[in-house]
Amino acid sequence: MEHTAIPKPLFILKLTVALLVSSAVAVSQTAPPRPATAPQSPVQKPAQKEVRKEVQKAPQAAPAPATPVEYDGWGRPTAPHPRSAKPAPAPPRDLSGTWEPAGGPLEGTQFNGSKAYEENGRTDREPPYTALGRQLWQGNKPSIGSRGVVPAEANDPVLICDPQGFPRENLFQLRSTQIVQTPIKVLILYEFDQIWRVIWTDGRKLPKDPEPRWFGYSVGKWVDDYTLVVETSGIDDRSWIDNVGRPHSDQLRVEERFHRVDRNHLEWTVSIDDPKMYTKPWVAMDKLPFYLQPPSYDVREMICSPSDSKEYDNLIGNPASDTSTNKNSR
Amino acid sequence: MEKPFAIAQCSTAPRFLLALFLFSTLAHAQNTAPKSGQNQPAAAAPSAPVDYDGWGKPIPPAIKNQKPDPAPRRDITGTWDPGNGPDDGGQFLGAKALPVDGKPGHEPPFTPLGLEAYLRTKPSNGARMVPPGETNDPELLCDPQGFPREDLFQLRTTQIVQDREKTYMFYEFDRVWRVIWTDGRELPKDPEPRWYGYSVGKWVDDYTLVVDTNGTDDRTWVDHAGRPHTGDLRVRETFHRVDRDHLEWTVQIDDPKMYTQPWLAMDKFPMRLLPPDMDVREMICSRAEFDEYDKLIGNPASDPAADKVSH
Repeated sequence: MEHTAIPKPLFILKLTVALLVSSAVAVSQTAPPRPATAPQSPVQKPAQKEVRKEVQKAPQAAPAPATPVEYDGWGRPTAPHPRSAKPAPAPPRDLSGTWEPAGGPLEGTQFNGSKAYEENGRTDREPPYTALGRQLWQGNKPSIGSRGVVPAEANDPVLICDPQGFPRENLFQLRSTQIVQTPIKVLILYEFDQIWRVIWTDGRKLPKDPEPRWFGYSVGKWVDDYTLVVETSGIDDRSWIDNVGRPHSDQLRVEERFHRVDRNHLEWTVSIDDPKMYTKPWVAMDKLPFYLQPPSYDVREMICSPSDSKEYDNLIGNPASDTSTNKNSR
Repeated sequence: MEKPFAIAQCSTAPRFLLALFLFSTLAHAQNTAPKSGQNQPAAAAPSAPVDYDGWGKPIPPAIKNQKPDPAPRRDITGTWDPGNGPDDGGQFLGAKALPVDGKPGHEPPFTPLGLEAYLRTKPSNGARMVPPGETNDPELLCDPQGFPREDLFQLRTTQIVQDREKTYMFYEFDRVWRVIWTDGRELPKDPEPRWYGYSVGKWVDDYTLVVDTNGTDDRTWVDHAGRPHTGDLRVRETFHRVDRDHLEWTVQIDDPKMYTQPWLAMDKFPMRLLPPDMDVREMICSRAEFDEYDKLIGNPASDPAADKVSH
């Protein structure tokens, strides 16, 4: 494992590094595959041809020499985003595919809070808190952003690798995302934590008084041939909405809109509605663009691991917390 | 959330068993009625517990003595439940085909190095069980189970979806997905280790998919009993669809550094098809819930407030 990539970013806050540690492959996005990776077999060639074909279609797609090449989880170069090529029309009622943030793999990380409301210390960029919402937000201690605290004082549940839950799975580390459809459901496969979630499209209603779940209960409805609107409720209120600690209650309702613009492009919108925490609904992610990767694209592995975090603490972040001194508490 | 009841009722069970009840509210909702009267179950015999899916719908019981339709060709899609009930894939004593239960012949063929590595693992269940404070099971930290342990511990309701290039596995435990490539690619020769490795599958007949996996992370255990593996581990899974409603799942372990010969960890483990509208329950490991359990019941001396700096 290429741990040599880890010690360099000492200036980055703990979670950033810990997330890099969380999977060897996370750091290999812009690093070439291992030299000893298997030579391309004949069966792999068609996939490469497919990639090259995409490149040829795009007059401006040829990367400049300085442009880093990205690799998928199998060590294959990913297809660059052919911005000027005119894609085919979107297939009706179909979101399936492997989608990458169109602005690059880091576009959906949202370290400073949800994309449409990045936390920058200015009140004009705050969501419309109720008094209770503001109070709870101030009690949440993120490890990053303008309110970031030192790791030992943070109370971010993700720092102990608790599930991100929903909607934070959309609003932090949103990377390559696979969408799989069946006649009655849509499955979303996230890169971060390798978590899946299901959106029922069989006409069922949201449960009225469900047991809370980390990822809630989701139902979706096509409002036109290219737009799926998804409602989610029943979300565990221990999770945060985003990486800067925006809170939610059990009254949270999330609306997502997946709009397939054409064959190669998808826009993803997330709206938050929680009358206990916010005076009105607010848009947390506004038409975040994604583009389609070839079907042979293998999503990298990026999973939060407490033992990786501990290793980071011991080596770099907080050596005083060497858990060999308190291992009995594990 | 019904945590206090789950804890109190099971106070004599091993710690991890209890902690699993804490993972998610729905883990222990399988045999309890859904809230608010939704989706009331069909009348059942008083002694027959009714299971519910994640949405509170009753899960239809397995129908014996009925001849199912033939299996569709090259198709293992569906939502599958362990054929002998939801707990049949729990495998708390280790891999189903070789549990650590003291019976002769239930020890895999360790090499000396394998035996040495095995004796260093300290599981929280089974004949080699140690007290909670002494276990070194990575799963108790909520590290990823990784592969093949995802098959060999807490194998519960599993969704399988196929497209032209791949087969997706959606596990209940930790709600993790994994991809099996069926587009003809070969396994990588010297891959970066991953918790869930690299998997390729091939249909050997119209009803049998054989899957090979390598590149797994050697920090994981093969199963809940602490059988070890190295980076050289190769796992072979065989998915055989017997008929429309039944699937057999076999897992073979091959790691020449740890074992003198390949051994079967799961042997034609039966799964049965559920209706397509069944919602898989949520069951996710949570450190916060472990800490809560430790603080309240398991090991109060380890109150995380006392060592929160290390978290």
